[in-house]
Amino acid sequence: MNTNLIEGVVLLAVVLVLYTVYFVKGAKGKLKDASKKSVKMFIQNSIRLFAIFTIIAILEKFLSTKAVSTFLLKFSGFRGIIVGALAGSVMMGPAATSYPLGQYLLSHNASVSLVSAFLFTWVGIGVVSIPLEFKSLGKKFTLLRNSFTFIAAILIALLMGVLI
Amino acid sequence: MKQKQILKDWAIEIIIFVIVIVLAFLNPSKVSSALLSATKTYLNLFIVIVAIALLASFIVVTIPKQTIGKIIGKQSGIKGILIGATFGTLMIGPAYMFFPFFKELRGKGAGANIIATTIGAWAIKIAWIPFAITVLGWKVTFFFQWIDICIFDSFGNFCGGFL
Repeated sequence: MNTNLIEGVVLLAVVLVLYTVYFVKGAKGKLKDASKKSVKMFIQNSIRLFAIFTIIAILEKFLSTKAVSTFLLKFSGFRGIIVGALAGSVMMGPAATSYPLGQYLLSHNASVSLVSAFLFTWVGIGVVSIPLEFKSLGKKFTLLRNSFTFIAAILIALLMGVLI
Repeated sequence: MKQKQILKDWAIEIIIFVIVIVLAFLNPSKVSSALLSATKTYLNLFIVIVAIALLASFIVVTIPKQTIGKIIGKQSGIKGILIGATFGTLMIGPAYMFFPFFKELRGKGAGANIIATTIGAWAIKIAWIPFAITVLGWKVTFFFQWIDICIFDSFGNFCGGFL
């Protein structure tokens, strides 16, 4: 079975234990508030996340990973790092799907720096989820976090290039 | 007035919806398979989405603002950063799934530096390290994860200093 399910069940179990402890302690009023709020949050999050899942799936269908890799292989050196980081920002998905892509790139003589920039922004920056981040955490936070992540990705890529 | 607010709140979702409809006319088969895979992703992460909603509301309702500020506030120092980084490393699913959760925490006094660190640590996934090693080789994996931790802790702090 996939790890999402197992870890999800563990997480849910922990949360339910917290609720039960509060229930036993007798703080029913607070629990009622919490469950009401969570239903609202669940519905809102579901709609927002489903929209993001949809746009990511569309991106995947219309922009194949193979095409992206072939495109990335055209670049090398510092330009490769920048293009790798940019491509990683646009592409999204679970970290695990990016590893085989990284392998493909490495086996086709892409530099370690390019691959690490790509893997890093794949998880760290999501162009698609920026609107949600914007809404949840604010303009300043989103702007700063994403630009710093991008700079960090490039620094990490350069360091990787030196170390390996 | 209320309708305007709803429109504003859901602008992005509405835009995505329109994009999907337009694309559905251009290439129905690709769009339907995309919708199917989005549904699969949603179902796959359903339990986590439920758990996050429950957890976030629980924390907001039961834990006082001061306590949250003490544990993961801006001034919580290295301890708060370690907690944030550990959380980011252990959590599953895409980071953006947790943005609403972070919003609640922010409102309760969590530091921006801690949250930035948490999102940064998302690139490190302990459960996936064995897989990463087989695919990428241990050298790349090791350095990648290790440099991540170092850079992200300092960047999270740096970033938080501005907010």
